Amino acid sequence: MNAPPKNRAWPREIRLPGAQLSGAATVAMLVVAVVVNTALQPNFWSSYALTSNFATFVPLVAIAVGQTFVVLSGGLDLSLGAQVTLASVVAVQIVDERLDRVPLAVAAALGVGLACGALNGLVVALLRLQPIVATFATSFVFSGLALVVLPTPGGSVPLEVTTAYRDAVLGVPTALLAILVLAVLWWVLRRHRVLRHIYAVGGDADAAYASLVPVVRTRVWAYVLGGVFAAFSALAILANTGSGDPFVGNELTLASVAAVVIGGTALAGGRGGAGGSILGAMVLALVTNIVFFADVPTTYRQLVNGVVIILALALAGIPALQKRRPAA
Amino acid sequence: MNTLLEMTGVRKRYGGVQALDGASLTAARGEVHALLGPNGSGKSTLDKTLAGTVVPDSAEIRIDGAAARIRGPRDAHALGVAAVYQQLSIVGDLTVTQNVVLGLEPARRLGFLDHRAARDRAAGALERFTAAFSGRLPLDRPAGSLDPGEQQIVEVAKALAREPRILVLDEATASLHKEQVEVLFDVVRELRAAGVLVVFTSHRLDEVFALCDRATVLRNGRTVGTVELAATDEDELVRLMVGDAPHRVPRPARARAVADPTSSPAAALEVRGLTTDRLRDVGFAVRAGEVLGLGGLQGQGQSELLLALFGAARVTAGEALLDGRPLPLSSPARAARAGVALVPGDRGRQGMFAPRPIQENLSLASMHRRARAKLALSAAAERHAARSMVERLQIKIGSLTDPVSTLSGGNQQKVVIGKWLLDRPRVVLLDDPTKGVDVAAKEEIYAIVRGLADDGAVVILNSSDNRELTELSDRVLVLFEGAVAEELSAEAITESRLVSSALRLAPGESL
Repeated sequence: MNAPPKNRAWPREIRLPGAQLSGAATVAMLVVAVVVNTALQPNFWSSYALTSNFATFVPLVAIAVGQTFVVLSGGLDLSLGAQVTLASVVAVQIVDERLDRVPLAVAAALGVGLACGALNGLVVALLRLQPIVATFATSFVFSGLALVVLPTPGGSVPLEVTTAYRDAVLGVPTALLAILVLAVLWWVLRRHRVLRHIYAVGGDADAAYASLVPVVRTRVWAYVLGGVFAAFSALAILANTGSGDPFVGNELTLASVAAVVIGGTALAGGRGGAGGSILGAMVLALVTNIVFFADVPTTYRQLVNGVVIILALALAGIPALQKRRPAA
Repeated sequence: MNTLLEMTGVRKRYGGVQALDGASLTAARGEVHALLGPNGSGKSTLDKTLAGTVVPDSAEIRIDGAAARIRGPRDAHALGVAAVYQQLSIVGDLTVTQNVVLGLEPARRLGFLDHRAARDRAAGALERFTAAFSGRLPLDRPAGSLDPGEQQIVEVAKALAREPRILVLDEATASLHKEQVEVLFDVVRELRAAGVLVVFTSHRLDEVFALCDRATVLRNGRTVGTVELAATDEDELVRLMVGDAPHRVPRPARARAVADPTSSPAAALEVRGLTTDRLRDVGFAVRAGEVLGLGGLQGQGQSELLLALFGAARVTAGEALLDGRPLPLSSPARAARAGVALVPGDRGRQGMFAPRPIQENLSLASMHRRARAKLALSAAAERHAARSMVERLQIKIGSLTDPVSTLSGGNQQKVVIGKWLLDRPRVVLLDDPTKGVDVAAKEEIYAIVRGLADDGAVVILNSSDNRELTELSDRVLVLFEGAVAEELSAEAITESRLVSSALRLAPGESL
């Protein structure tokens, strides 16, 4: 019995857009953002401004790298922001201003990310719920838990941590080093079998299954990696702000998706990488900066941010639209 | 005979279709064993059961005398089974090397990849086929950028790299050139000499005779026999595949008279040079009142032809004329407005809105005809239209407000057909309309199809069931690899003629 041919006019299932931005487009956006920022913020290149800018970039960069694993596997994690919140409030409650408890707090944050990722992975891969719906639901579980752990903003981090984070090592801002560490982590993981399998499952899950790839386990790994990098994001937030906030991760979720798309990873999965996501996260962070220094009234900031994200996403869709047009 | 593989009592049901109904296969070490059968006989399903990508409802499998449980591709691999799939298991975004080693990547400590070992393994598996890649192995190119024949070879190399003792080749030569086929056959012969069992499925009978030792023939999901190919000829194989079917009386004389070239003047639908990425220069003419069948092996472009005429495929060249006027092939909405209706092959996904009421499903395609000022619908008119169709097609329903999903397969299909009849189409395209439909409902659908033609519509019917084609068609176009290979009319439309016409094309002609 021959299987019916795959039909392009009527897809078997609705898939997320396969479009992706080229690396050149990502870099171009970054250059434009830097130039505009330089024009609006006169001391942009001063070491103080650079250090402070990078310090605010790290949380978004980390969560964007985490989202990259999930998107590459063909999924989407809308609970990453809530995971950041949960990991940060747990860590801030544990550390309780004591320097000797920092290792324990870091371990706890990573444990929270790992556990949340594993839960998401099991729900999506084993119970086969739609990733968008499943992770949207678990996001409420994680935010709810965060409110139980820390009902109102509070708690604080040892001063040594925040000072070190805003300092520089041999003239290089600590926060920039953190971004480099994230990039190196990605570079190392890229050479691991799990990442190869994530690409294969995101590219064509049926083919991967027939090719002996453990599809369920691979999907779970993608969400676990997402959770671990959400924990890194949480730690960076604590180091930057010095205190806990049970709502801190809310806006990071969609920003992480946007950063992944701007960074050239296809939402359909299988194509792209975290290198682009890191640049994409910086573009978004710079846009927030620009909106601030352009004296956009506070009430309009969210609107402007939203429009910029939509424009970036639309840019990624243009090549696909051109391909879809009939030749004749 | 040194038996290596024994599969017995293999059953698999897909929804309403019993794909395998107690099929069996016994094959030996060091043998190339062909698996043959007409469309829908269950060859691919049996292949996939062995390879682990289909989990059967029940089956007893013994490999080397030991009971085997195959619940996934990884189980099959552990038992030494590797497969080349008809729909390739290539991940287009990965490189050729990454595809060849996929799932079994050579790794150093802690699971970190050993790129050099992977390249060596891929190069080793592909070395034999170097000529097929114009002399240079594209080890680092994305597999998706290769042409279909090259991708097929990567798929073969991937299976070979697994060093199987049972190799399943499911239509593995379909997109290969002649020279590539020769290399593949040499490799298969070497494997045979080394004691490997190769299970070979191909729709090219000349390849089967050139390569295989024995053949097992399937029909309707059952095994009808195993033959030594050295002691068999093509006629005998076709007879085994088709069975001793009684000769059926085709359509009654009244409809035939319309099809008579002397009594009917201009063609109602004329198709010229129609080309898409799966169709090549298809041309034909159908008269009003005629049923044109589309035959051949499945997936040779029949469905694509119907989609193209319905404006749902990208047409790169050619045109269709309805009563001399060009038919718009750019979108289904335009095609429908011009009087074309399509009853699609995938009823559940493309033909109906399963959870919505029967009335809504019936009235959907023709609402514009009843809408006042193209805006307002009257509930009474909608109900009346739906009820008239339920009566005309004798659709067995409880209430018009029940979801269409509550109906049996046959009655669902009648709703899908009825939806279009309300729009009074002049060209009706039917894509395997009785798939998964019980026998009684089948006859009723046949009556509807004949009625449509008698009322003067152009009917084009694709069917994977050759008996259906003999019963309904005035003429049959046999398609092969996207082109019309043969046209059969009147007395020539018999089941054995359809099968042999679909199978006996020399591979040279197809390229």
